[in-house]
This record gives sequence, structure tokens and C-alpha cells, in this order.
Amino acid sequence: MKLTIDQRWDLIDKIAKQTVTFGEYRHTLKDAIGELTIKPFTGIPIAIAVMYAFWSIFGSFAGFFTDGFFVRLFDAYWLPWLQEAFPGQGGWLYAIMVDAGGIEGGEFVLSDNCLESFGVLTSGLFVAIGVVLPAIVIFYLMLALLEDIGYMPRLAVLIDTMLHRIGLHGYAIVPTILSLGCNVPGVTATRILETKKQRFIMMTLLAIFIPCGAQIGIMQDVVPGLMGWILLYLIIGYFIFGYILNKIVPGKAPEFLIDVPPYRRPMLSNIGKKVWGRITGFFKVAIPFVLLGAAIVGVLYQLGVIRFLGDALAPVFVGWFGVPKETAGPLIAAFLRKDLAVAQLSVIEMTEYQMITAVVLVSIYFPCVATFAMMLKEGWKELLGAMAVLTVVVFAYGGLIHLIGILLGVA
Amino acid sequence: MAGKSSVAAIYFAILGIVTTAFGIADILVTAGASEFAYGILEISGDLFRGGWGGVIVLFAGLFYLSGIRNFDDIHQFSKVVMGSILIWIMAGCDIFAMITESIPGGEDGPWFNTLDGFIGTYAPPYAPAVLLLPFSLVVVYYIRKRKQEI
Repeated sequence: MKLTIDQRWDLIDKIAKQTVTFGEYRHTLKDAIGELTIKPFTGIPIAIAVMYAFWSIFGSFAGFFTDGFFVRLFDAYWLPWLQEAFPGQGGWLYAIMVDAGGIEGGEFVLSDNCLESFGVLTSGLFVAIGVVLPAIVIFYLMLALLEDIGYMPRLAVLIDTMLHRIGLHGYAIVPTILSLGCNVPGVTATRILETKKQRFIMMTLLAIFIPCGAQIGIMQDVVPGLMGWILLYLIIGYFIFGYILNKIVPGKAPEFLIDVPPYRRPMLSNIGKKVWGRITGFFKVAIPFVLLGAAIVGVLYQLGVIRFLGDALAPVFVGWFGVPKETAGPLIAAFLRKDLAVAQLSVIEMTEYQMITAVVLVSIYFPCVATFAMMLKEGWKELLGAMAVLTVVVFAYGGLIHLIGILLGVA
Repeated sequence: MAGKSSVAAIYFAILGIVTTAFGIADILVTAGASEFAYGILEISGDLFRGGWGGVIVLFAGLFYLSGIRNFDDIHQFSKVVMGSILIWIMAGCDIFAMITESIPGGEDGPWFNTLDGFIGTYAPPYAPAVLLLPFSLVVVYYIRKRKQEI
């Protein structure tokens, strides 16, 4: 049976009469609050409060498990037991697996905490389980809650204008926030951006300026008082270099259309599934890399490679970046594990400003191996481009931070 | 009805003024890099809780003040609700931090806190948002009342 155009419209009218209810729609409180969170004048204060809650709960939760229980478990029980039980104290295998220790008065001295021992089974496990696990659990739990309540699309709309200035649009907030958990899914999420230019800018900015959950967790543990300054430098760098990249990278940065859903009560089962999926995904990638990274760093230290590179690059670190010579080793090791590098930095004697500079350098320095591999998967040309930008950024921004310190009289 | 909403407007106007004053005090204390304690009130001088948190308390006060005119309008009322939500966010974070601090025994103590230590964590002084929390909950009554009227 074939219908004419008029017959089709008649049929549509009949169906509409039976199925559609017409009436006056009254705004509910939920609608009005939804509008408040999207308008810049009221939405920005709310976004500031949401971010505050995010970091406050993150810090309290991670601190509860790490400082409250894991530090004691690892330092007072696990480390002394392994130091006793593992054979070959002072040997190279012992140094790589348990405790690299130190030399005092010509004698081998054992470390008294897992952050200084640098062994695969001590520092490696402590960082992976004691520091990163609580940080990642609460990070993904909060993120899933914000997503399921319906706040993330509103944040995307709110930040859209600002991100357009760096060649991106509101949706770029998704890979950015995901990267705060782990850069690997962050890089994958850049695919939601439409053009090559946007994906390149996003991937490069993620690799350079967004610290992952593991790094944030360890920063929260070892340099909590400096976190604000470190993050501030990274956010400023994100926008400065994003702006420059937008000017020099050819291509388009289109507008985006988004359907903002109403606020909803989150479903526990959905949140549970999301958090579980992300945590298991993170740990499949991160745990082997943390342990492997700790092992490779240990081997390179034992072979004297890091000491050699540190000595060779010391003039650059001291003269250009204004950080102590001893930071060269951790900064080189940061290629393998940024979290371990921050832990190593925390035991070096330096001023607060040097510590801020050194941790910012660890963040903007090469992405970790896992992110590196993921970027390679996205395309070798993009990876090479990102690496070229990264090299320039490390020297330019690292030098600029040193210069700011000199001008402020704190470097 | 008009009488009741004017009572509500006066209540939230006073709460707005007090909240704004607390927010400004938070920011000033942080700017002075010091701490302030008076009776059961304690204003933190650290950049995160005092500075960033102070800005949020200030915004909460401004939300209250901007929402009191034409209180019956849903859009105006939503601003008052948002003021309370900001207070709940701040107070919730402070209370959550208290809970996480109260359970472990500390560096040199036992694994878990003693009963005295646990209870002691919840003793005053409190941050401004925690003191404002019970007063901000009044908005729940008006939300329920509105629902019943619809």
C-alpha cells in the first residue's frame, strides 16, 4: 500500500493526537538549578565549588588510606620483613628488588621507609597499592558520580568559550579530566574531537601538562603543601601553550552542539560498573609499568647510567632550570615512572621553589612509557610532532619558571 | 502565603549577610596568612580551605542575597537553594575530613584511634560552613512545601 503525502500527514496527525499530550510546561526546581549551573555568571561559582569538593574529598580519602594505614603497613612491617628475609643484602639484585640503601661512613645502610628504598617489591608495591590505588578509586568514583548526575555536559558548555581560545571546545574537558586519572584513556578519549588539529593539540597538552592520578596521589602524599602552586603552574602552561599551538597548528576548530540532559539521581549499579571497569583497566596498564619502571630505574642506577646522564646534564638542570644537581637522576627516571620520580625528588634537599620547579618539570617532561605507547598507536606523525612541542615546552617553560623565581627572589 | 514568603525572604537575607561576612572573613584571614579562632568558630588560614573555601562561602552568601527578591519565583528560589547547596558542599567536605582523621590512630599510636581521640576530633571549634550548616537546612522545608503546593 502506498500513501500519498496528504495521507501520510493525516496519519501523523492521528498518531500525534493519540500519543502527544499538550499543555503548559512549568519549570521545576530541578530545571531552574540546571539553568543556574550552565549560565556563566552563576555556573562558574558552582564549578569552583564542585572542583573544591572533588579535591577535598580526594585528599581526605587518599590520605585516610595512605597516611592512616598503608604508610605504617609498608614502612613498619613490609619493608623491615623484606630487608631481613630477602637474601644477598648489599648485592645488585637486593638493591633492585628490595632496597638500594645508602652508604654512610663506608658502610651499607638500609632505608627506613618505602619512599627511599627504591626497590621493586618495596617502593614499587607501595606506590602502586599504598598510594595510587586509593587515589584512583576515589578519583574514578567522583568522576562517575559527576557523569551520572549530569554535571559533566554542563561543565563542557561552561568551559566551551575558554577552550575555544586554545583551539578546542567544551568536550575537551572529557579527555582532560580522564587524564587526571590516567593519561592512557585520556589520549584515547581525544577521538571525540572532530579535527586532526584539535586531536593533536589535545594529545600534546595532555602529555605535557596533565599529571596522572598516580602522580597526583604521590604529590598529595609527599608535597601536599606545594600541590596548589604546582597545579597552578601546570594550568597556566596548559592555556599558554594551547593558545600558541592554536595559532601555529594548521586546521579547523569547529563549534560543538550538545544536548544537555536533566539532572538525575545516579544509579549505584551504574557507578559501581563504571568505577570497577576503569580501575581494572588502569591497573592492567599501570601495575606492570610501575613494577617494570621501578626495576628498570633500579638497573639503570646500578649500572651507573642515570648517574652518568645526571652528571652530563647537571649544568642544564642547575643553570637553566635552577634545580639541584641531584634532581637530574629522578628527572631522567621520570620517563619510566613519574610517580616514582616525585617520590625520589621528595628525599632530595632543596628549597620549596626548587621543589615546585622540579615537580613541574617531572610533569611536563616526557610522558610515561604507557602514554608514549598509546600516542604512538594514534599515529607516529602526531607523536613526533608532540615530542617536538614537548622538547620546546620543557626548555621554554622550565626556564620561564626559573626566571619567575629569580624575579621574585625565591629561586 | 505572601506573609510566609516574606518571613522566608527575611530569614535568608539574614543568613545571606552572615554567610557573606563569613566568606569575606575567610578570605581576609587567609590573605593575612594567619588563623582565627573565637569560641566555637575557627577560620583556617591555609590557601585551600580558607582561600578557595572562603570564596565558595562568599558565593553562597551572594546566592542567598540575590535570591530573596521575589522569593516565590522558581528561578529566584533556585538561587537560595543553590546557596544552601554550596554550604552543604563545604560543610560536607569538612565533616568528611573530620571522619577520615578521626579513625586512624596516628603515626606513633595504635592502628585505630582511641574512643576519646575519636570523639575529640568532632569537638569544636568548627569551620564557618559547619556552623552555617543547620541554618542552611531550613531550605529543605521550603523545597518540600513547594512540592506539596504543586
